[in-house]
Amino acid sequence: MTPVEPVGGRDGRVVPVFAVTGGRTRSTGRDLPVESLVTATDQRPDDLQKEYRMILDAAVAPVSLVEIGAALRVPVGVARVLVGDLADAGYLVVHAPAPRDAAGNPTPAVLTRLLAGLRAR
Amino acid sequence: MHGDRAVPLKIVVAGGFGAGKTTLVRALSEIPPLLTEEPMTSASVGVDDIRAVPDKHTTTVAMDFGRITVDDSLILYLFGTPGQDRFWFMWDELARGSVGAVVLVDLRRVDDCFPAVDYFESRRLPFVVAVNGFPGTDAFSREAVADALALAPDTPVVRMDARSSDSCLSTLVALVEHALDRTHAVHH
Repeated sequence: MTPVEPVGGRDGRVVPVFAVTGGRTRSTGRDLPVESLVTATDQRPDDLQKEYRMILDAAVAPVSLVEIGAALRVPVGVARVLVGDLADAGYLVVHAPAPRDAAGNPTPAVLTRLLAGLRAR
Repeated sequence: MHGDRAVPLKIVVAGGFGAGKTTLVRALSEIPPLLTEEPMTSASVGVDDIRAVPDKHTTTVAMDFGRITVDDSLILYLFGTPGQDRFWFMWDELARGSVGAVVLVDLRRVDDCFPAVDYFESRRLPFVVAVNGFPGTDAFSREAVADALALAPDTPVVRMDARSSDSCLSTLVALVEHALDRTHAVHH
């Protein structure tokens, strides 16, 4: 596994941690379900790779992992790693999931909100 | 709008090949369809039966999804299930934590939706059976469909038209009502 270069690494470069992408298998993104929502934060460095820039552009409003994968034309698994990188670096916020009960199903309260919202359309 | 308070929910859309999954998702989605269909190849023949759907030349082999902004902090995603057995692993990810499923049925080929019905029943995921109004399928009773699919007595069966966004929306409402009934039945 390739070590991740820290910000301001050994040669003094100020490089985003995620500029090194090869070989990593673990990141914040690893457990995110496909519908996870993310939003860009106010921080935005100038020297990002194209894919990261595309993600931050898409995330000016809440956007899901699966939408990011489709926009980048990469499998959701790849989008998950890239999103994890950006979240680890503080450039993306990962939203909390919808409230779940003990069995992992959406709570009656959130289902009631969904029902009201659908009926109002 | 919602900053980072927005939460996602998802509904799975399943059914046989050509039953209308992609049509339903596109009828409701507020985002344009993204690249989700690939041309049918010879490798697919024998997996998806195209004889009964002569006009359909593509099959859904990737993630087919749509999005509905329900209110200022709730976003609903619809996921069409991949229609081939080798994508069963994706069903688990799509079903986990979902509101439930819509199982689309073409009454000319009822058998096609057995795998979906079995899948959701075995995982106790709430689902509605949505009979898509194809030509020549006007007359049916709930009992006939429920018998043919061996449905549990409380499983809703709705007639709908996947080309109509109003009809698709009513189908989702029926599913969410059913899911709520199920949670109340568990909690009381």
